[in-house]
Amino acid sequence: MARLSLSALGRRIAPGWRTNDRRSVSSWPGAIVVLMALAVVLASAPAAHAQQTLPDPDQIKSQGMATPGGSVRPPANAVNLPDTSGSSVRRPGETGRPAPAMTVPGNAVGNESVTESLWDRVRHGQRGAVVVPGAEQGVLIQSAGEEWRLIRNDQVVHYGGMLLLAVLTAIVLFYLIRGRIKIEGGRSGLVIPRFTLAQRIAHWFAATLFVLLALSGLIILFGKSVLLPVLGPTGFAVVASASMQGHNLFGPLFLPAVLAILVLFIKGNAPRAVDVSWLFKAGGLFGSHASAGKYNAGQKLWFLMTIILGVAISVSGFVLLFPDFIAERSQAQLANLAHGIAAVIFIAVGIGHAYIGSLGMEGAFEAMSTGTVDTNWAKEHHDIWYAEHKGQAMADTGRAEVEAGAAGDGVMHGVRP
Amino acid sequence: MIQFIEGPLWYLALTVFVVGVAWRIIALVTMKRPADLSEARSGSSGAGGAVKAIIQHSVPHGGNLGRTLYHFVTGYLFHVGLLVLILFAAPHVEFIQERLIGADIGWPKLPRWGFIIAAEAAFAGLILLYVHRLTDPVKKQLSDIDDHLGVWLTFIVMLTGCLALQEAHAGLRAFHLLTVEALMIYFPFSRLIHAFTFLLSRARTGATYGRRGFAP
Amino acid sequence: MTVEPGTIAPDNRPVNVQAAVDKMDALLGGHIASYLDACVHCGQCAQACHFHEATQNPRHTPALKLLPMTRVYRRNKSPFSGLKKALGLAPEITEQELRDWEPLIFDTCTMCARCTVVCPMAIDIASVVAATRQAFVAAGLGPPDLLQAADNARDKGSPLGVTPEVLEDRVEWLADDNEIEIPLDKDKADVLLTVSSIEMMKYPDSVVAMAKLLNTAGVDWTLSSKGYEATNFGVLSGKSDVAKIMVERIAAAAEAVNAKTVVVPECGHAYGVLRWSGANLLGRELPFQVLHITEYLADLKRQGRLKFKPYTEQAVTYHDPCQISRRGGATADARYLLDGFASDFREMTPTGNFNWCCGGGGGVQAMARAADVRHEVFRIKMAQVEATGAPALVSACANCRLTMDESKAALKWDKELISIVEMLADNLDVPAES
Ligand code: SF4
Ligand code: SF4
Repeated sequence: MARLSLSALGRRIAPGWRTNDRRSVSSWPGAIVVLMALAVVLASAPAAHAQQTLPDPDQIKSQGMATPGGSVRPPANAVNLPDTSGSSVRRPGETGRPAPAMTVPGNAVGNESVTESLWDRVRHGQRGAVVVPGAEQGVLIQSAGEEWRLIRNDQVVHYGGMLLLAVLTAIVLFYLIRGRIKIEGGRSGLVIPRFTLAQRIAHWFAATLFVLLALSGLIILFGKSVLLPVLGPTGFAVVASASMQGHNLFGPLFLPAVLAILVLFIKGNAPRAVDVSWLFKAGGLFGSHASAGKYNAGQKLWFLMTIILGVAISVSGFVLLFPDFIAERSQAQLANLAHGIAAVIFIAVGIGHAYIGSLGMEGAFEAMSTGTVDTNWAKEHHDIWYAEHKGQAMADTGRAEVEAGAAGDGVMHGVRP
Repeated sequence: MIQFIEGPLWYLALTVFVVGVAWRIIALVTMKRPADLSEARSGSSGAGGAVKAIIQHSVPHGGNLGRTLYHFVTGYLFHVGLLVLILFAAPHVEFIQERLIGADIGWPKLPRWGFIIAAEAAFAGLILLYVHRLTDPVKKQLSDIDDHLGVWLTFIVMLTGCLALQEAHAGLRAFHLLTVEALMIYFPFSRLIHAFTFLLSRARTGATYGRRGFAP
Repeated sequence: MTVEPGTIAPDNRPVNVQAAVDKMDALLGGHIASYLDACVHCGQCAQACHFHEATQNPRHTPALKLLPMTRVYRRNKSPFSGLKKALGLAPEITEQELRDWEPLIFDTCTMCARCTVVCPMAIDIASVVAATRQAFVAAGLGPPDLLQAADNARDKGSPLGVTPEVLEDRVEWLADDNEIEIPLDKDKADVLLTVSSIEMMKYPDSVVAMAKLLNTAGVDWTLSSKGYEATNFGVLSGKSDVAKIMVERIAAAAEAVNAKTVVVPECGHAYGVLRWSGANLLGRELPFQVLHITEYLADLKRQGRLKFKPYTEQAVTYHDPCQISRRGGATADARYLLDGFASDFREMTPTGNFNWCCGGGGGVQAMARAADVRHEVFRIKMAQVEATGAPALVSACANCRLTMDESKAALKWDKELISIVEMLADNLDVPAES
């Protein structure tokens, strides 16, 4: 795992990219990309020495595999130098033990000259020995950058875009077919306190940042394919530069926001037996009643997702924001992929969350605005929670809002001296 | 367009700002009330009270820290962050030198990391304060259109400023300047004037009560 | 229809909106304008006001009490008011609005200035409320019983009907009953003592105690039937004419006996008004100094003219009347008196200049319809006292005392309330020969 390399990953998911035929991109399920990239970041990002292992070019050829980076020719002014691979410079103090020799491919023929072969190796990120200490100093060209670029620009953009479009379409369709989910019994006029002021503030603080980051992030990720053709190079440059600055600036605030959500919402979000049946009934979306406590299984998953994706995005974001603190750029490349993939999923589900919390369901938005909910809404969507808290129902909405602010669904203590 | 924003509009905004603020302050200062005829407590004076009040009301006092902690923290994050940005962000220092005071006078510019920290603080503070305004029942009923406009304008100014951070595009810079001009024109007519009146208000309470021996 | 604490039942008194607007316009000077221009609607003042804290009702946010003035300011006075008017941003005040504001201005402000402490702008809402009350009275609004108290003070000499004749009767009775000399209407005296009619009618022991202390210290003092009422319901109710009359009476009495010092009894607002607004109401400097009884007794103690036996009966705590401590600046003197006297003295938290109000200042005590909300407020004081563990609460204001006595009865609270003057008088260390 620790030695899993980006190029290997890239080849496996996109063996056809060298043909420059974007249609022939492998159709591995996007989910695998996501899981792997996430796993990479979460498990090995701190390990920090995922070296580039370069497969032997011959082996590549004999297996009929594409050579990553092979499409790039040596610069026109490349000077032919004799192969110095066996006698590279020694570090001061090193013993005379020779550095591992680069072997000249045995079947080098025609234009596969010695120089070409050197270029090949350099181009493929072969690590040489150099006097300057440092993790990457021996690598002249970090060829994984190209792979990263292609995964990001093709795979992530492609599947991510499809995912987002699919979610949007699903929501529109759902709205057209099912319409706004009404409170069946109508409003009772009685409300129950639900969320504290602290919870609501944390929620809206995170939500504000989410929107700002999602918008700027989507421009960064999809701008080249979507906006560039519309705005033209100059216009897009302005928008992209602005988005990048904004994204970098708001990004660091997201971690504290997610942590605040974790602390303030963790109570009541533990799984319980009733969640299983809720999931089987798809939350009662299609008719049948699904029981739930303070949070239903969908909300619990969203909570979990917020924490896991939020932290993953934040950590990978910090890696990208402060590259000085990582050893090699391959880590930045992995971080970037994980960042983008996690973000696209987060946004996709987030759109669903925002929809159901506002337009999609009558009586849901006020839970997060005034902190109170109508008793009939509670009965229909959180029957178990309702049964526990119906004693707190009141007609004075202003009072309920105050009590919610101080104590959520708990009992407000009286005068504080 | 960019020329208009950087030229005539800037001078218009500057004029409205300076004249408007001056007018309001002068109006307040000249609205006098008759001298206080009561005899001051010995050892206490109005001037001393005014100074004390100005300083004391910068921080929660009288055992009220716990009650006002949220405002204290977010308020300081926002105000200090914003003030640092306005006065020390490198492009601002250059702009001020170029437009207002000349290159001879100058002061240290913020390094990039300093800018980022100040901006993070200002944004976090402003968003947290505004979210509180939208959810806290006390603040909700106090708020009027002026409060919302003021916050939004400030937020947009800060946002456009940060988007232009790279300084690679004249358009972004001009856009930021445009929003700043909008804010400057709005300023004297709005509650944003508290940036100046806080001194007057504190000083007046301090002066009235200082001579009594204690200024609340 | 039940009425929520702090609101009042609808009525059909005629309301003169224009009179209110004119009055506010006239009173709106640089101070109030500065305050109105500085308020940032941060709502922190709510956290300091006992009416908000006790009810947790956002309606009781102090900054809302600036609203009537703000509206007048924006429409008539502020720079750019013409522009705002033209743009429709400064609508006229309506009768309904005045009615809605009335409980905020009267029933739920004790003018305690706690909100000023917390306000980042140091806005003195209490003084704005005092000015606004004048406008409401001009419009024909205001709690009837409070206004009646002011009229009584003007017509009878005291809000509780202590006319000069009643005063004479009661002084005679008190002197006889307690075998003590209480000089009334001496020709000349160094010190003019004033009384609160609350003491005269409800806590006469306190008058006796003051007499005892002043006599023991050998002070040349007197009461005067020309000016004896220390309370000033003119100020509390917003009737500025009555306010002036009350001060004039005391000044005339003091000048008639050539007093160098006027001593205000245990009454918070009486001290605040006479000490800090008296000269301004009269329009001239006062030819005498004004001291609260705690200040004066502290002076006597400092001079060695009064000595006390240590009070060891029980632990006590001290309630600072807002107008004496926070708004009066005489916080230290009560402490000086208790120091070395009460053997187990415990401060509340917060205390001194930052103490919580009893709930009955600013005339709220005199408004029957505010009783419920006052009792709610008193729970804060109860919790504060209980936290000290002291079984008794000492104070230096008869109005606080009455408020607390009523709330104590309503809430069936078991702690003891003590007047500092009575406590001192009961523990005088009198040399054997007298
Ligand atoms: S002066 Fe006291 S009672 Fe009046 S609003 Fe302020 S805190 Fe409340
Ligand atoms: S604390 Fe002061 S500035 Fe804030 S709302 Fe209250 S009065 Fe206004």
